[in-house]
Amino acid sequence: MSLYALIPLLPLVAFLTLALGGRWWGGASHKVAIPAIGLSFGLSVGAFVEVLNHGPISVPLYRLIQSGNLIVDLGLYVDQLTALLLLLVTLVSSVVHVYASRYMIGDPRYNRFFAVTSLFTFAMLMLVMSRNLLMLYVFWEVMGLCSYLLIAHWAERPAACSAATKAFLVNAVADVGFGLGVILTFVTFGTLDIPQILNQASSASDQTVNLLGWAGVDLHVQTVTLITLCLFTGAMGKSAQIPFHVWLPFAMEAPTPVSALIHAATMVNAGPFLLARLSPLIVLSPVAMTIIAVIGATTAVFAGVVSLTQSDVKKILAYSTISHIGFMIMTCGVGAFVVAIFHLLAHGFLKGFLFLSTGNALQVVHAHGHPVSDSGRAGRAPRLLVAGALTLACLPPFVIFSGPYESLWTVQQFASAKAAFWVIGLITVFCTGMYLFRGVLSLFQQELAVGVPGGEGPVLTRPRLFSSSHFIGVIVGAIVMSGVLVVLWTWFAQFLTPALTRPASSLAASSPTTGPFLGGSGQVLWFAVPLVVALSGWGFAYWLHVNPQRSPWRRSEWGKTLYVLFLNKVYVDEIYDVYVVQPTLRLAGWLWKTVDLGGIDRVVTSIGSTSVALARWLWHVVDVKGIDRVVVGSGGQTMSVATWLWRMIDLRHVEKNVERLGDRVGATSHPLRVEPRMLQHHLLVIVFWLITAIGLFYWFVA
Amino acid sequence: MSSIVMDHLLSWMIAVPFLGIAVLVFVQDREWIRRTALAATLLDFGLSLMLWAGFDVGNQGMQFVERVPWMPTFNIQYAVGVDGISLPLVVLTTLLCPLCVLCSWRSIKTRVRAFMMLILLVEGAMIVVFTALDLFLFFMLWEITVIPMYFLIILWGGPNRIAAGVKFVLYSLTGSLLLLVAILGLYLEGGRTFDVLALADHTYSSQAQFWMFLAFFLAFAIKMPMLPFHTWLPDAHSEAPTAGSVILAGVLLKMGGYGFLRFCLPVFPEASAQFAPLILWLSVAAILYGGYMALAQSDLKKLVAYSSISHMGFVTLGIFVFNNQGIQGAVLQMFNHGVTTGALFLAVGQLYDRTHSRSIHDYGGLHTTMPRFVVLLCLFSVASFGLPGTCNFIGEFLVLVGTSSDSFVKVLLSMGGIVLAAAYMLWTLQRVAFGRSRTAFAARLPDLNWRETATMIPLVVMVFWIGLYPGPFLNVMDASVSHLVQQATGTLGLEVFQRYLGP
Repeated sequence: MSLYALIPLLPLVAFLTLALGGRWWGGASHKVAIPAIGLSFGLSVGAFVEVLNHGPISVPLYRLIQSGNLIVDLGLYVDQLTALLLLLVTLVSSVVHVYASRYMIGDPRYNRFFAVTSLFTFAMLMLVMSRNLLMLYVFWEVMGLCSYLLIAHWAERPAACSAATKAFLVNAVADVGFGLGVILTFVTFGTLDIPQILNQASSASDQTVNLLGWAGVDLHVQTVTLITLCLFTGAMGKSAQIPFHVWLPFAMEAPTPVSALIHAATMVNAGPFLLARLSPLIVLSPVAMTIIAVIGATTAVFAGVVSLTQSDVKKILAYSTISHIGFMIMTCGVGAFVVAIFHLLAHGFLKGFLFLSTGNALQVVHAHGHPVSDSGRAGRAPRLLVAGALTLACLPPFVIFSGPYESLWTVQQFASAKAAFWVIGLITVFCTGMYLFRGVLSLFQQELAVGVPGGEGPVLTRPRLFSSSHFIGVIVGAIVMSGVLVVLWTWFAQFLTPALTRPASSLAASSPTTGPFLGGSGQVLWFAVPLVVALSGWGFAYWLHVNPQRSPWRRSEWGKTLYVLFLNKVYVDEIYDVYVVQPTLRLAGWLWKTVDLGGIDRVVTSIGSTSVALARWLWHVVDVKGIDRVVVGSGGQTMSVATWLWRMIDLRHVEKNVERLGDRVGATSHPLRVEPRMLQHHLLVIVFWLITAIGLFYWFVA
Repeated sequence: MSSIVMDHLLSWMIAVPFLGIAVLVFVQDREWIRRTALAATLLDFGLSLMLWAGFDVGNQGMQFVERVPWMPTFNIQYAVGVDGISLPLVVLTTLLCPLCVLCSWRSIKTRVRAFMMLILLVEGAMIVVFTALDLFLFFMLWEITVIPMYFLIILWGGPNRIAAGVKFVLYSLTGSLLLLVAILGLYLEGGRTFDVLALADHTYSSQAQFWMFLAFFLAFAIKMPMLPFHTWLPDAHSEAPTAGSVILAGVLLKMGGYGFLRFCLPVFPEASAQFAPLILWLSVAAILYGGYMALAQSDLKKLVAYSSISHMGFVTLGIFVFNNQGIQGAVLQMFNHGVTTGALFLAVGQLYDRTHSRSIHDYGGLHTTMPRFVVLLCLFSVASFGLPGTCNFIGEFLVLVGTSSDSFVKVLLSMGGIVLAAAYMLWTLQRVAFGRSRTAFAARLPDLNWRETATMIPLVVMVFWIGLYPGPFLNVMDASVSHLVQQATGTLGLEVFQRYLGP
């Protein structure tokens, strides 16, 4: 059993080896990382089989914290959900590593790249295997750090650095919600162990919290709702949901393999995973479910529309990821967790492929004018690469869409929000068809430009997309794949259901196996409608491309405005900059100058200067005018007494001593008139304060 | 032999720095002066490890206690001992001092002997402060720590050192005066004894508690420093030499937090509870305010100094929620802050040694020329804002869990402080370490040498040790903290302290 602890441990060992070895590894770094992650893929397959046959595996680790009633035991937990994600993460990650071992050749920080990607994989593996919510939070954040380091991989580029900082900070803001959720969970359930929490979840469904109690207002909210929403805020950050989506398009500053890792295997998948992991808790709160579904749906449509207007293929893919994840979140929100996970897996594998093939194509495009080593195949190699990319890019719509199909299917049984989600889902599917066509097209045009060196450049003619045999192949492939998926689906749903339900909680709505799956009368309809919609989206994009003058955003002012609006991503980045970032910095500067330097410091300095002034005044009034005068006066009196005595008694005797005595009296009184030394001055201040303090103290206390 | 050492372990630990000073008088060669100082501090660190090893985790009371009458007329004793709260701070002191000697190896070129003597003096004094069981002894050494710090600042400091030194002394003396008044009051009220343990068992009238708590609180709040009393810190930190900043941030500030735990909570439980709401809000304000201040800085040392104010806000927040998680988190956070902020000051000092500039705008693009340095800087920056897996996370998490029993609004606001911390740390990293170098000299800086790397390694180990396996640290303080919580809340009903937001 504890053998499965090696699944995350191997990437960690690879990371440590590479990090401590430093530059010594150099160009051989991938030889450490690839075997480690490949092995953990092998072990993941083993874990999958084990879970399939014998149910969940649990590997206890050690006790992290014991403080009062807070006890945090770390442990690994592999159930059906985790086993599937392990397969996805390790497989995509090892493919990405193999790919990167070629892609990153010649990079000055080759070793660092593989060290951080290994750590990234480790963090994601630990996240999906966490038995404890705090442990999940830890790796949630570690993953954020890894993404930061990888986005800033080409640190010479200022854009890469600010993109990295942006990604981390957006996530940090969202993770405040996550952290608060963890603490709330602990306060509510008294434990952070996930299986225990889920088992106790139903008992907590009646608990309420008065949110505005401190303000004297009654606003009772279900505790479960609050916990779910807090944790979901964290998920919104990691999975780039509105309004935390801004970091993901900028993360494209990272090397392409990293994009594949972030979009397909790690990072963004954490959100839907978290929701699925805590599904027995989440379904207890209809309010939270509705909010989750609405945010997911908004994100799906918004990102779909925005990506229609983008021209950079990597940006299109980024927004397509946001859109897809939004779709998964929405499916979670309507209770179809199984579908969301299915979508997540399909999307993960295909996005990985898409990114890697796009990376190839782009590299070929960028290499234009660069001497290609084997000149004999110089003409063919790019073409082949782009053709491969094209085929792969044509395939995903169909398979990815089968995820949405299934989800729409299940939404049917979730009676409350039927129509709205149908409409939103179909809009998303339509958009997906359109933007993927455009993304592929942009690659295709670049391929033409490369294919005809010194030619007319990017040719905006009728593309050969439909004239080639690709199209037929794609259609056939899609039909076959859909058939396989339909068969696979039943098995998949049955496999995953135990992980998403707890005997203590009722999950009838979210358990798809109870629905009439195969043989249902509407099956063909639910399958056909989205396919038609997707194809019409694809066709519409093609039609627009052929007749650019007919496009709605060129014909009307209103359309143009809308187009510009979405081209600029609805100005969300600018709004954040103007209304969040700049005011924060200005407030910080203002606080420092006005409150710290102008306020507190000035008060302190003025206390100092007033005490000096007070001391000077005291010296003047008390010392010089008071004590000195008394002393001098007494000196004078002594002198007059002496004179008197002398006159009365020794009048005739020691005449010669008279002058000396007078001098002596003068000498004793003289130093008192000298200007005060600094020491005396300071001492006086301190003594004064001491006497005042003691006096005050005894006046109050005694 | 070993029994002579083990029986008087604390006295030996206190004696070693002072013996070191005595030895330094006779050493002439500069290199040997440095070596002697390093040997003395390392020896003390070794002794503190023995102390840790010999510490009985299950015992809630004072251990390694030594008592010798000193001025019997006034009942003044030389009395020292450690419990689970003081032990981590003693270890922190002895851990940081060798690093201070190491980091000053080349950067201090004038009056080396005096410098090393002052470092040893401050080390010895701080160990006494953290172990003293006699209020008079505590106060005396509390005062003595100010003197070496003042000279470290004004003799080896930056361009504005005189003003910073005077400010530091004036603030410290104000605090000390209040402390003296309070100690005298406590002496008279508590049955004419300076024994800390006996004073804690005594019960005081509400009014006496109120005024004595106030005096103690202000003294410790200035040292800490808490929100309105903090303006000495940025100046003192930024003008002090690297070793001075490390000691100041790493250990001296903790005297305030330690004072709260040793005196305010056990001796004046009622007044503590009375003042707690105010102090908690002040702490939350300090967390956010310190974060905003740090965001506005362009001077690296001032930035780290303001971040200290923010971190100290977490410490006071944890102390005044009166529960196990909060106080354990606070003690751990004090230790963590010493490690991470100490390391950040060391890093800034390493840059300052190379360029004599503390301005963020003079750097940039260091990752190409100083990769080793940038790795360490990244690590300590993320540790400083409490990335999970590093030491500060555990401390902050415990404090926040403790605070959640008081109110969630404070938890939420404090987490906002963590976001601010992430913002200023990452923004600084972006401007200092990444991008392109903004000045010609920044593009030619040499990477860390082995001595500078060795200075950082122990702190790296601590960051991950506490971050990933804090068990040993939490175990050490568990019994003492439970005892303290019981002392602070036992006499009053729990309901006074537990103002839950909801059910």
